[in-house]
Amino acid sequence: MEGDLSETVDALPGLVWTAFPDGRAEFVNRGWREYTGLSLEQVSGAGWQAAVHPEDLPFLLDSWFTIIASAQPGEAQARLRRFDGVYRWFLFRASPMTDSAGQVIKWCGINTDIENHKRDEATSRANAQHFRLVVDMLPTRVILVTPAGELDHANRHTLEYSGMTAKEYKASWAAGELLHPDDRQTVAATISASLGSGMPYDGESRHTCANGIYRWLRVQGFPLHDEEGNIVLWLFLQTDIDDRKQADERLRKSAVQMTKAQQLSSCGSFCWCPETDGMSCSDELYRIFGVEPGTSVTLEMVTARVLPSDAHIVNKILEQAREGKELDCEYRIRLPDGSIRHVLMQAHAIHDPHGPVEYIGAVQDVTARRQSEDTLNSLQAELAHASRVDSLGALTASIAHEINQPLSGIVTNASTGMRMLNATPPDVEGALETLRRTLRDGHRASDVIARLRSMFKKEVLASVPVDLGEAALEVITLLRVEMLRKRISLQLDIAHDLPAVTGDRIQLQQVMLNLLMNAVEATRDVDDDQKQILLKIEREDATYARLTVTDSGVGFDLQHAVRLFDPFYTTKAGGLGVGLSVCRCIIDRHGGSLWASGTERSGATFAFRVPFGGNPAAAGESSLPGGNRQNADAAHTVRHL
Amino acid sequence: MSDDRSLIAVVDDDESVRESLPDLLRLCGFASRTFSSAEEFLASGCADDANCLILDIALPGMSGRELQRELKVRQHTVPIVFITAHWDEALRPRVLEQGAIECLSKPFSDTALLDAIQTALAAP
Repeated sequence: MEGDLSETVDALPGLVWTAFPDGRAEFVNRGWREYTGLSLEQVSGAGWQAAVHPEDLPFLLDSWFTIIASAQPGEAQARLRRFDGVYRWFLFRASPMTDSAGQVIKWCGINTDIENHKRDEATSRANAQHFRLVVDMLPTRVILVTPAGELDHANRHTLEYSGMTAKEYKASWAAGELLHPDDRQTVAATISASLGSGMPYDGESRHTCANGIYRWLRVQGFPLHDEEGNIVLWLFLQTDIDDRKQADERLRKSAVQMTKAQQLSSCGSFCWCPETDGMSCSDELYRIFGVEPGTSVTLEMVTARVLPSDAHIVNKILEQAREGKELDCEYRIRLPDGSIRHVLMQAHAIHDPHGPVEYIGAVQDVTARRQSEDTLNSLQAELAHASRVDSLGALTASIAHEINQPLSGIVTNASTGMRMLNATPPDVEGALETLRRTLRDGHRASDVIARLRSMFKKEVLASVPVDLGEAALEVITLLRVEMLRKRISLQLDIAHDLPAVTGDRIQLQQVMLNLLMNAVEATRDVDDDQKQILLKIEREDATYARLTVTDSGVGFDLQHAVRLFDPFYTTKAGGLGVGLSVCRCIIDRHGGSLWASGTERSGATFAFRVPFGGNPAAAGESSLPGGNRQNADAAHTVRHL
Repeated sequence: MSDDRSLIAVVDDDESVRESLPDLLRLCGFASRTFSSAEEFLASGCADDANCLILDIALPGMSGRELQRELKVRQHTVPIVFITAHWDEALRPRVLEQGAIECLSKPFSDTALLDAIQTALAAP
């Protein structure tokens, strides 16, 4: 080697060397010698190989001879022993020097210390290994995807869940077969959008699982960045939400069914907390109240719709709600379009010891029912009239039959008698017989008339102890629905210690019914919240019990009071006027009296008194079972119906 | 004694009819038998002999119209003249439709009855 160049090479701050074309070492520079601690003599020929790590030598030599054979520059890595015995990784690079004929005349090489780089690489490899291990151990389904959208790794859980090997899973992923056919297109589009934008992915889709069925998974994808902020990997987390999805679906279905059922029954439901006035309503309830579904509903909105004449009902209910009572009422509302609905509201209070009272309730639209009831009532009225007419017809027919029978005998006997007397010779004997029968049948007809008269003569047929209070309650039972419907408030004030009166229970009840019906009729044109009837039964004195019916109705003109009880006197457009006169007859026959009082403004009072039966005390003992003694502690029962 | 007179059967629960009609029928040249119920009439076998049946509609037990149906079932062709104390406009056409000769409402005149009997006897 030329002196100058040798010195220059020797001084280069690196490990530099030259070799003969056959690969034997020719020269190593000072850096080389100082690093290995070997002399030029020791290195020459194949001596340099002693500094190479024995494990790396075969590979290095192999590479070296390949490079020589190729006559082209080449490189290989191997550990080179330092003077102190420590091996460090080096990159051996060799380049040929050729003559003008292209023949290799010498090899020049340089060894670069890559120990630090190697170590970094190993660390990073170990880190990646570690990362996969962690991912594999995660007790949830995780897959790693490259930024290009290729599957990098599916963790153990994912493979177990899908029932596939890693290879199968990779193939299925590539073929897009892991997803339900209906979901493939959308998911592919959204995932590629995420991969493109780097925005996290979050979606729900159906995935195959081990038993071949599809289950709903929530898939969340997060990009993993390197130090420079580039996305190196995507991590997708898959959560099984199939049970929740199914529960959601069941919930949705049952909500649909509930809505349908509420529609069919015209029944809406609500939850209401009086303290906070928080209210939630079903769709049907919105419909009933004519409110846009979803609007937040307040009590004020509800009460604003209530008809003014029914406001007292709702106010009473609100009062009960403040006391945490069960709620049950019927009222009318006016919708924004002006139509009127009858609604039935029932609510149950839920008393939570830790919170305010909450009501859960139902509101039913009973408009159609009320309307058909009204129709039915008018039909019933017509029917009642028809049956009165009909029973009159039946009565006439029955009277006709009773009279026609003897008349038939009379006519036949008379005509037979005439024929007998007209005969030659006249059959006087026979004619006398027919006359005798004619006479007898005539009496028979007259008997029929007499019997009819006695049948229609109103007499007290029965004479039994009657508990006026109990009898009145039975009558009220008959009228209760009618009164509720007409929004009449009925107040009862019945003395408990009353002995029984003696008489005909049915007839006395007819009188009560008549007086109550009159009162109901009298309140017809009064405002709903003013419709009141008071029924009072009390002891007038030692002899008489008194029943009073007072209404808040239109009242009557005092000058007509005397005529009220005349047969056929009526103030009602549709009335026959027979009621009160019959009532008076019945009461008269019970040894009592019936009267009326009141003014035109303040409604009317009708009352009757009837005597207690026999010894008042004894009669009390024999009064009908029930009522009296049960509430002996209270002198009166005052009830609002 | 042999009797060439037509036999008229009377079924009526009213005694005054059962008393008065036989006299009238006898005066007019008919023989008669009376029964107070449809059952009694059926049991007597008179249906085979009677030339005409005067039948009340409202009878206790089997009614007049039921007897009419029963006779039809038994293929008795005795012509029937109904009498009734119940006057019902709709009744007459119904019983006539079922083959009755006449339906008279009580009280009826002797001539109306005799006319009906003559029609019955003339019937084929």
